[in-house]
Amino acid sequence: MTDPYRLLGVSTDADDDSVRGAYIAAVRACPPERDPRRFERIRAAYEAIATARDRTSHALFDTGLPAAGEVVALLSASWRPGRPSLQALHKILKVR
Amino acid sequence: MAEEALRATRYKDAIDHYKALLREERKPDWVDNLAEAYAGRAEQLAAKDMLKEALALWRTRAEVCGVPLVLGPCLSWLMRLGEWDQVFGILSGAEPVSPDLRDQSETQLARVALTAPDDVLLKFPPQSPLLLHRSAAHAALAAYADGDAVAMNAHLRSIPFRSPYRDLRAILKALLLLPTDVEQAAAVIERVPAGGPFEPLAAALRVCVLPRSEWLAPLGGLDKNARALVLDIKGCPPEQRAAVAELSMLREDPAALFDLVARHRQVFPPRAAAQLCQRLLPHVPDRIKAFRANFVPVPPAEHQRVLALGAELRGDLDQAEAHWLSMIHALSPGQPARAALVLNHLAASHHHGGKPGELCEHGIEFLEQSLELDDGNRDTHLRLIRALRTAGAKPKELRKRLDGAMKRFPDELEILLEAMDSALESDAFKKAVELAKRVLELDPINPKVRSALGRAHLSQARKQIVAGNLKGARRELEEAGQWLRSDVERGALQLLQAFAAESSDPALLRAAVVGLGGSLPGIFHLLLEAQRTKRDAAELLRLVGAELDATPSAEEIVALANALNAAPDQDNALRAAIAPLEHMIRRAASLAYAESAHLLVCEALHRREHRGLTRRYAEAALKRWPGRPVFVYLRAAAMFAGNAWRIPRKERKAIEKACDAAQSQGDTRTASRLDALLTESGDDFEMFDRKTGLPAFLDPALTDPAAAIDAMFEFGGEDAFLEMVRKQFGKRTFEDLRREIGGNKKQFARRLMDMLGKADGLLGEGGVPNQGPLPAPLPAPLPTPEGARAPRKQRPVLPGQKDLFDD
Repeated sequence: MTDPYRLLGVSTDADDDSVRGAYIAAVRACPPERDPRRFERIRAAYEAIATARDRTSHALFDTGLPAAGEVVALLSASWRPGRPSLQALHKILKVR
Repeated sequence: MAEEALRATRYKDAIDHYKALLREERKPDWVDNLAEAYAGRAEQLAAKDMLKEALALWRTRAEVCGVPLVLGPCLSWLMRLGEWDQVFGILSGAEPVSPDLRDQSETQLARVALTAPDDVLLKFPPQSPLLLHRSAAHAALAAYADGDAVAMNAHLRSIPFRSPYRDLRAILKALLLLPTDVEQAAAVIERVPAGGPFEPLAAALRVCVLPRSEWLAPLGGLDKNARALVLDIKGCPPEQRAAVAELSMLREDPAALFDLVARHRQVFPPRAAAQLCQRLLPHVPDRIKAFRANFVPVPPAEHQRVLALGAELRGDLDQAEAHWLSMIHALSPGQPARAALVLNHLAASHHHGGKPGELCEHGIEFLEQSLELDDGNRDTHLRLIRALRTAGAKPKELRKRLDGAMKRFPDELEILLEAMDSALESDAFKKAVELAKRVLELDPINPKVRSALGRAHLSQARKQIVAGNLKGARRELEEAGQWLRSDVERGALQLLQAFAAESSDPALLRAAVVGLGGSLPGIFHLLLEAQRTKRDAAELLRLVGAELDATPSAEEIVALANALNAAPDQDNALRAAIAPLEHMIRRAASLAYAESAHLLVCEALHRREHRGLTRRYAEAALKRWPGRPVFVYLRAAAMFAGNAWRIPRKERKAIEKACDAAQSQGDTRTASRLDALLTESGDDFEMFDRKTGLPAFLDPALTDPAAAIDAMFEFGGEDAFLEMVRKQFGKRTFEDLRREIGGNKKQFARRLMDMLGKADGLLGEGGVPNQGPLPAPLPAPLPTPEGARAPRKQRPVLPGQKDLFDD
């Protein structure tokens, strides 16, 4: 399962209200009729960390393997889209 | 041979063959095929960067086969080699070039024209669009890099639709859209054909527009410059680029990912690298040392957690349990909730895999201990109550748990429902009604409770009928009528109303029987209610004019099977109700049922343990569908369940064959049922003597106990050995030994064998274990193997003890 915290966009120290708020926002953004599979994932993520006890349980027993994409998402959280320089554009266009 | 080589892309051989053939006769087909072979070989060479060799072959192809030199990839190879003279020579007309090819070639040269030095440009024909639109393309590129969207769009407008720079125009528009509207950018870039002159830029852009983190994997397939461009666009800071590049190359490998994150930990947000590596540790427990070195010390409880999860991932549940128990002991006293969750987890690993919620004794103990530590966990209460109900716990024990749960969660529907079901099971109808009403206050439209409430009133009415209180029964039936909805329940209500009437009314009875589905199912319900209310069945049958000699229809038999399935599990009246109907049911065994209907009937009869009928129906089914595994099982189970050792060899063969067939058909349930039957029946030859517990092949004169056990172990493996020990010493002593000795199954069996072999008094004559209790003291436990910790013995919760740490 994808990291539920990441899927819902909450930090690991989020409380019940924050998790519920994030879940409702995620469902509004992706209602079940639009993308049932993604909704299922959102629902499963919410159920995994809905309460403090769920979060402790998740921390204790989760053996989900973080995917490389998940790791890069951690890094890219602070990235701001940039514009390549003319030099970089020329470099890629240069015929070798 | 030539064609075969060409088809197999052995172009070198194909060239030789066709050249030889053309020396004999110049057939047009052979010329075409030779051209194809040359082209294939040249492209193979170009793919290996042997461009000069590829061009040489291409020239030979043009000469030998008479095809134009400039067709195909020739120009692009020349460009890659920097052979500008030849490129422009071709385009300026030294060789005849069609307008289409000229246009195509100029398009291919657009990227060259854009980035080539000025002296190269002098070689272009002055009217070439490559020169005419070049400055606009250049300016648009520069305007984009400066972030001047207005200027960029103005320059792009000067590039006509058919210009060789048209792809660049689309790419720049997509680049401009990217930060604000990725979907639109993706739509624009999708219109740029693959393999165009600006392909490197387009390819990078196609990666950039991929959603979420999906861009990472294709990033690994880009060259250095394209990768840098993607990361520029994404905004990746320089210090993180090496980590991202490595990640893009990574396949699913927890160890490699752990090492990568640990190596680049400085570029991750604070704590993120440690958290990631901590998540990876159960997959790579051998990295605990590295984790300590790179991040923070691992507390003992966390260490045990990692080892426990690691053992679970390996499938070593015994080892996992030992580590979980060690973790509980390593947890600080202020963490009872965590310890409770671990105990819940352990209880789940003691799930029997049979009925839902079924737990063994240890599983139930774990849940009880969990509640001692954290009684605020509703789910634990529910699991324990369900496990106790499934295990057939004493009513007092169950009631204590239910009362505790209801006190803690007075408005929890699921707990109230469990309490209601439990009250119904123990014939506490008044309590059940009270609970059902409470549930309906909380959930007024709960259909399950409405039905349960109705059934509770029916049960109470039956009680009243038995006691002769017909007035009270009618009152209960009136109440039941408000809640019951299904045809069967309404039919039962009607029957009981007839039973409770002031005077016997055959018409009312007959109407109820018809309402319950005609002769067979209706009579079955009549007999069932007669049993439950202790009425004279023969008299009732006479009143309704039942004919027990008729052969029922297939539909009636299926309806009866459904009624059997719907009846409560512990209904003693069922067997007595079926008895007068057996003759009728037997006669209908060979009717032409659909296979699913036949199976439904067979399974219902099997479930209710009507062995004779099950066998009759299974045999009838096997006549129609010979060898069908599920019917083979039902027939064998009806004949031999409980006496599986009596299964004759021929029948065993049939069961084995059916088991294989079920496996190959993917019918795992039947395969496992057949397998269980075979296991129950023992092997073809007796592995262990039933009296002595020794391997049957052993010489009875064998007197060395250690050698006897050793042989037994070698022959039967640890499972058979442990089973023998369990049988001989009893479950309790065996479990005590298991906890005392610890280790996984293999280690436990091996150490147990050593102990038994060495211990005086444990074995009797000829290595036969004594039947008496285990003599004390036990031999000293053997040293625990490295990396394994013996599970600690569960201690009972003492009176007044609040948690595991409160001694």
